[in-house]
This record gives sequence, structure tokens and C-alpha cells, in this order.
Amino acid sequence: MTAFNLNEDQQDCLQELINVAMGQASDQLARYLDTFVHLRVPSIEQVSTTSLSNSLNKEQQSVAVVSQGFLGYEGIRGEALLVYQHKDSDCIGNILGYEPDELSVEEQLIDLSSILTTTFLNVFALQIDNQMSYNAPRLLSSGQDALAVYLQQLSFNCDMALKVKITYQVTDYSFNCDMILLIPESAITNIKAVIDRILADY
Amino acid sequence: METFHSTINNQLNTGVLILDLDLNIVFWNRFLEVHANQRASEVVGRSVFEVFKELPRRWFERKVTGVVQLNTPSFCSWEQRHHLFELPHTRPITTDSHFMAQNCTFLPLAPDGVIQHICILVEDATDVCHYQSMLQKTLADLEQANRIDGLTQVYNRKHWEECLSKEFDRARRYQHDLSLIMFDLDHFKKLNDIHGHLCGDMVLIEVAKTIRPLLRSCDFFGRYGGEEFAIILPETNITGAADVAERIRQAIRLNVMEYQGVEISASVSVGVGEFEPRTRRYEDLIGNADAALYEAKSGGRNRTCLFKDSVVCL
Repeated sequence: MTAFNLNEDQQDCLQELINVAMGQASDQLARYLDTFVHLRVPSIEQVSTTSLSNSLNKEQQSVAVVSQGFLGYEGIRGEALLVYQHKDSDCIGNILGYEPDELSVEEQLIDLSSILTTTFLNVFALQIDNQMSYNAPRLLSSGQDALAVYLQQLSFNCDMALKVKITYQVTDYSFNCDMILLIPESAITNIKAVIDRILADY
Repeated sequence: METFHSTINNQLNTGVLILDLDLNIVFWNRFLEVHANQRASEVVGRSVFEVFKELPRRWFERKVTGVVQLNTPSFCSWEQRHHLFELPHTRPITTDSHFMAQNCTFLPLAPDGVIQHICILVEDATDVCHYQSMLQKTLADLEQANRIDGLTQVYNRKHWEECLSKEFDRARRYQHDLSLIMFDLDHFKKLNDIHGHLCGDMVLIEVAKTIRPLLRSCDFFGRYGGEEFAIILPETNITGAADVAERIRQAIRLNVMEYQGVEISASVSVGVGEFEPRTRRYEDLIGNADAALYEAKSGGRNRTCLFKDSVVCL
């Protein structure tokens, strides 16, 4: 146990905040995309950045990873990785309501990633009386073993990270993707402070 | 405060475009005035599609719908879409792109909690785009240089051997034909001694040039070392490879070159080997072709020998 570990109450509280945000995000996305979007119960874990490579590597062979940084008040910040599998990248244009020739697959991936990330984080931010700003999303890599290749090139500048993984499912299109929120060590303390405040108000 | 805002807005090196929900222009800053060469007074109140006829209308409308409905920002990068608005850029002379490469950000504006406007920020990414494409080109050139023999412009030994390894695996797995031709310039040392190394270089270049048109695009032609060349012939059995080998030998024999007014003729000795199911390693294939080449040399040069169980000379 390090000083950064969330205790049981903090973990439960964060889980609850995320659950509520997932519910609202799923509702908003369903209305915008005109199809049901399921967000699967997240896994929350603290990982050392060295084991992070391994745990992310175990994800199935991914074909595309899109990264988008987020930044809020009170030192809440991190990076959202959207991880796509090969079979799922074909139908994104349909889900988004674009015509096939209107945009490239890369642009579809980035567009959808941005929508999923910002919709979820906006409602999450509301839960904690915060407001997020976002970087432009970037396609980190695409092709076979995209995530593995990306992780190889990654140099971490912190030892620990809080990892929240949420799986999105659009059943009408049998589409799945994973959103992995990574919150760096320095921001975990800030998140804990926010959680403690909410717990105290409770 | 108000004057600060307008001063900054006008000094900003970013385009600020504000639209109402019917996509009519409500505001644009000086950056857009000068780049689009139209005053704000000329465009305010007009549809954005009327002012920028090039905009992909359906895509743009869907994009804005997302921003309004989800109350989230949306992005559009030059990497996926070079530009949205056809604007000139500030480096028309030193870059080759016609329009400004752009990073655009769509922001919902909801000062009272209700979205009534959309702000589009337009950043000039022409420099980044330009340097990125130069980098890509350099990387591609480097990769190419890494594969090519500088003198003869055929594949170098390293790349050629990688190709052989792949083709060998393919042939083994699918039981396909695969042949190998190795040839060596006859009396190359003597040629160098008599006419000098520059003449030797010229002969190597000429030989490579003469052979290239005799090959298919799927063949791999490489310089194996010194005056020795090697050709991988996928989907080719030894009979087909022997034909190619003979054509090569004759073409070199008939090609009279000239160096400083002196006529130079050359010949090659050629060895041919074929993949057989019992061949385990690609090195064995090289060994077989090399053994045939050795026979061609010791049998008097300017000839082709095949490795079939034992060496047979044509």
C-alpha cells in the first residue's frame, strides 16, 4: 500500500460517481446517436506504470488507439485512451450518422473518441462541481498491435497511475470499444481531496 | 474588460468564428477578416455556407449538431482533414500547399446554460503540416536508402537476404516454386587491374542496368557482394529460372560497353538453384546456387549451371 492508494470508502465513492456519470453519458449518447449505448461497469485500479504496460498489453490485439488529454480545476487531469478492435472500426461512420465518403476511417475514430470521452467526462465533472477542458484528440497508432506498439514508445513520467476502464457497447451495431482513463500520480492526490470533501458532505 | 477582449481578439493569431444555431455568422475576428479578405461587416448575418462555399455541408451540420446536443467540444485536425476553410496562409512561397492547414475546434457557447452559439477556432497548422510531410518524405527516403546498393541501385545484401528469407518461408508453407539465380562477373579482378576501379564500377552499373528489364516486377534483384549478384524468382521452377539465367548470360555477353574510348565486354558465370521440400533453410538454397555457380566458373566461365540433386551445366 502506498500513500496514493484509495481506501475502501474513497474507492466506493469514486465508483458511485463514475456509475452516475456513466448513466447520464449513456443517456445523452443514445439520444445523439439514436441507438442504445451501454457502458459496462468500470474497473478501477491503481497500477504502477511498469505493470500498466503489461495490463494494457493484455487487451486484445487492438488496431487503433486515440488519446485525448483532459484538464479541470483543482488539479484534476489525465489522459483518456480509446482502444478499438479491428472488427469494430468498420461501422463507426454509420453509428455517427455520416455518409461513408464524408470522412476517413481515421477521422471517424477520432470523432467518436472525442464524443465518448468528452460526454462522459463532462457529466463526471458536473458530479464533482468541476469543468473540463480538452486537448484535441490524436490518433496514436493504427494497425495491428497498435496498443503494444504505442506502449513500447511510451515513456512514463510518473510511477503510479489510477486506471479506470469502461467498456462501451452499441448493440445495434455490435460495436465495442474500451475507454481507459489514466490519472497520473500527481493528480491522484487531488482526486482524493475531492472525494474526501464529497464524503464529508455526505 | 470589453476593450481588452476586443484587442486580444484582434491580435489573436487564431481565427475566431461565431455562428448562431442556424449557422449564420455572428462574429469573426481580424484573423478571419484578413485571411478571408472580407470585413466582419460584410459577412455578419450571412450563412457560413454562403461565405465558405467549400464547406462540406452535411458533415459540418452533423458536427455542429453533436456539439450542441452533447454540449461538448469537437475537433478537426489537419492530419485527417487538411483544411475546412479555404484560406491562404502566410508561407505561400516556401511551402507547396495551396491552402492553410488547419486545426479547428468547435465549442458550444452557453453563457446562460442554454447553447445559442457555436464558436469555431481556426489555428494555422501550415508549418506543422509542412515539416511533418518533409519528415515523412525523409523517412521514406532513408528507408529506401537502407535497402539499396548505392553503386548499382539494386537491393543491398541485407535487404535482399531478408526478402529471400520471407519468400523461402512462403514457398515452404504453401509448397510453391521458388528459384534462385546467382551470378558473378568473369575476370573482374583483371578488368579492374587493366582499366582501373572506375571502369570496374561502370561495368557493375551497366550489368545491373542490362539485367533489370529481363526480370519481372516480383523478382528480387540484389548485389550479393563485390562482383556477385543474386536474383530471387518467386513462383518459378528451375526450368523457368534456367531460361532467365541463359537470357542474362547472353545479354551480358552481347552488351559491349565503352570506357574512355575503349570497348569493354564482359561475361558472367551463372548458378541456378531451386527450392525443394527437403530444403530446410534459405541458406541451403544459396549454397546450392553457389555450388552451381562454382561449377560454371571452373567449367570455363560464361556459362550457366543448374543444381538438381547434382550440378548440371547447360
